[in-house]
Amino acid sequence: MLHKSPAQRVALAVFGLVLAGFFLFPTYWMFTTALKTPAQILSPAYDLVPLSATLKNFVNAITKPGFTTFLTNSLTVTLGAVAFALVAGLLAAVPLARLRFRGRKGFIMLVLVAQLAPLEALFVPMYLIMRDADLLNSLWGLLLVYVAFTLPFTVWTLRGFVKGIPIELEEAAMVDGCGRWGVFTRVTLPLLGPGLVATSVFSFITAWNEFLYALVFMREKDKQTLPVWLSSFKTAFGTDWGGIMAASVIYAIPALIFFLLVQRKLVSGSTAGAVKG
Amino acid sequence: MTSTVDTARSAGTPPPAARPGARRRARRPLSETALPYLMLAPAVVVMLALLAWPALQVLAISFRKLDLGELVRGEIKWVGFDNYTSILTDPEFWVIGLRTLLFTITVVLATLLLGLGIAVLMRHLSGWVRGVLQVCLVLAWATPIIATTTVFQWIFDQQYGILNKTLVLIGFDSFKGYSWFTSGTSTLAVIGLLVIWQAVPFIAFTLYAGLVNTPSDLYEAAAIDGASGWSAFRAVSWPSVRPLLTLVTFLSVLWDFKVFTQVWAIRQGGPDGESTTLPVLLYLRGIAASHFGVSAAVAVLMLVVLVAVTWRYMRLLVRSPETEL
Repeated sequence: MLHKSPAQRVALAVFGLVLAGFFLFPTYWMFTTALKTPAQILSPAYDLVPLSATLKNFVNAITKPGFTTFLTNSLTVTLGAVAFALVAGLLAAVPLARLRFRGRKGFIMLVLVAQLAPLEALFVPMYLIMRDADLLNSLWGLLLVYVAFTLPFTVWTLRGFVKGIPIELEEAAMVDGCGRWGVFTRVTLPLLGPGLVATSVFSFITAWNEFLYALVFMREKDKQTLPVWLSSFKTAFGTDWGGIMAASVIYAIPALIFFLLVQRKLVSGSTAGAVKG
Repeated sequence: MTSTVDTARSAGTPPPAARPGARRRARRPLSETALPYLMLAPAVVVMLALLAWPALQVLAISFRKLDLGELVRGEIKWVGFDNYTSILTDPEFWVIGLRTLLFTITVVLATLLLGLGIAVLMRHLSGWVRGVLQVCLVLAWATPIIATTTVFQWIFDQQYGILNKTLVLIGFDSFKGYSWFTSGTSTLAVIGLLVIWQAVPFIAFTLYAGLVNTPSDLYEAAAIDGASGWSAFRAVSWPSVRPLLTLVTFLSVLWDFKVFTQVWAIRQGGPDGESTTLPVLLYLRGIAASHFGVSAAVAVLMLVVLVAVTWRYMRLLVRSPETEL
């Protein structure tokens, strides 16, 4: 099955590259449009490959007032939510996978049902809770909201990964003289690598992308995040596609960096643990 | 955290006495009994306060008249099933509901087929082509939703969009100045393509991981037995991919049924409400028009549909030996 004739191999490679092109194109088009002048963008010429490039769109976007504040806010909230969700999720996943206690099934049910709720629906009660807790216009408030959105998936997936680690490995380490903490940091944690990557990617996307709650909860200008910033571009520039694309690229870059950093683990592990017993 | 391993061992491996009986459990020190609850506490607190509690409130609000006035005055006005009656007797709701279901089914099926196809393909590609494909998939996955949505609007732009330019170039002159957003169907088709494009990488990588984790000697054994191509896939790959496929189907149904940002960003449910789906309706009635009671009722109905669709799988998940210890 893995032995193919050269013709087959070429055909498969071509097919693979066509698919790669399909998935690359929008991102590619975003980058190249961002490098064009307004005249180039609105020219009728067919220009799949840009012949000249300008960085003006990027300079305009970055020098828009408040950019660094939005960037810092987004990074703070997103990375904070990822870290919080990972720690709380792992803490919950270990007993769910390994310990026997009352209320275990009930909690698993809660985790599953929690993923059904449409998040736009929770908006009004969430707003009232945040208002009463004095967490409107607070990065902490937004961070907690994102943690809540991602925790069910995180707990569920990590639980599967913890279960996937043969208990004999941990016992062997104990026999070899590892303390309990040593077993956790030297055996369990490294084996959880792909699971931690898969779940942190999920929380990263959720927090980095979220728009509606960020827009309404963060009324003060210096508390807003990048998705809100990007939407402000649309009205300010109308159909200045170059400007919007440059802003989109800037908005996408931290996510791209994060993904490329974790890519190898992502490809090998993904959520395999979620169903492996 | 420190005593995890100890307790785990007593629970995970068959103990000398057939089961850890009640007597033994009673002798466990308090710190050990409390341990699982202490570890669950942060997750439980956040999920109860910011998911379960708001969800219960939505349920309560769905039986109230809650417009901007009531909200500001903090007034509680119970109206029984009025919100539900007004929605369920509105023919528009049924049209939108059906549209949302069709959209979800189409997008889920397309995503799964494409994802599975790419996962299988990746196994057969030579090293560097696979690498290129994987990097492109990761880039697509990582590009933020709003950025991607904006690019799609630009690609499908009526006058200067590269798609129309390309179609004209290869001879379809009727696409000069063609607008993709004049009908609900073609608007939803563009949105569907956008959602599929963003969702496939996750599905493909998950299924690919399942395929790669299949021991390769199974394939060799199958080859010796004369199985090839399709029959080898069915006999060897399918069993290891199936549970993952069920899982990603479950997740895709949840995610695609609730897609809001993309639908809203492309045309706000237009033209003329023709691409409005249930999450958009929820937004229009609630945050846009300040009929929070009606909006909450829509949310509850959505939840009912989702529970109905996924009930069997959820029961399977909770009851399966996999959730046992």
